[in-house]
Amino acid sequence: MPEPTRIDARGPRFAAAITAGLLLVDVLLGLTGLPVRAELTAASLGERAADPSFLLLVVIAVLFLWGVLSPRTAPWGVLFRAVVQPQLRPATEFEDPRPPRFAQGVGLFVTAVGLVLQLLGVPWGLPVAAAAAFVAAFLNAAFGFCLGCQMYLLLQRVGLVGRARPAA
Amino acid sequence: MDLTIALIVIAALLVATVVLGFVIRWSQRRPRVVDVTEAVDPARLGADGLGEQATLLQFSTELCARCPGVHRMLSDLAGERDGVRHLDVDLTHRPDIARHFNVLQTPTTLILDRAGVIRTRFGGAPGRDVLELELSRVLEESHA
Repeated sequence: MPEPTRIDARGPRFAAAITAGLLLVDVLLGLTGLPVRAELTAASLGERAADPSFLLLVVIAVLFLWGVLSPRTAPWGVLFRAVVQPQLRPATEFEDPRPPRFAQGVGLFVTAVGLVLQLLGVPWGLPVAAAAAFVAAFLNAAFGFCLGCQMYLLLQRVGLVGRARPAA
Repeated sequence: MDLTIALIVIAALLVATVVLGFVIRWSQRRPRVVDVTEAVDPARLGADGLGEQATLLQFSTELCARCPGVHRMLSDLAGERDGVRHLDVDLTHRPDIARHFNVLQTPTTLILDRAGVIRTRFGGAPGRDVLELELSRVLEESHA
């Protein structure tokens, strides 16, 4: 399937709102579960992975991965186009699909850090990572804040992305 | 952790995020008057010239969701006024330009006067009304 050159700008914000909701639930599960208890360090790997906050964050991370690999088929995007978009007025703002895809990658990275910290038995690691991802998703949904706008040039400055390319 | 305390922490997180959002929005819509005398060289930016009266110089990247909207607004504004030109420079593969103008976020918009000197700077997506006001100020001052 060819990549669409322009997408309805409301789609990624709708997806970000659902993601923010899921992440907030995950923070709550984390704060009331194993990740903040002293037993975490003594718990087995299986016990760490069986905590509800870990399982939900795995689901969220898989959704982020889906959004990076195949934005067109990602569940929240499909739900938006099938159910929400027909109810709304025709789109007036369109955007490049690359920035939201980059944001999905950042979300994947942050949630993956939370999952790894939980498996390593680091107390508070999982809820703090989930809270960080929540802040980013919420600001995107409610304020239209975009991570790519804020992070790209910082990453460029430390030499991770966008090296100078000779003009073609 | 007790459920009540956890819910209080969640509420605090939510409030802090909303406050952060308003602070970011407030700081992005505010112009900063720039006090440097450096004139921008259009050739370095890959442009053939600047506006006769003023130039709206926008910096963008490929991964910036707000940039196309700001681009539309600025070219609209430039079209309404004689001698005002809008230039959009893609910094995705130009770290040298980003470093030179100390651009840390996109969109960043600079208002240049008729001599190409940077007069005002907006980090983030500026409000159209504030932008028009700043542009009028720069146009008036360069005639004074």
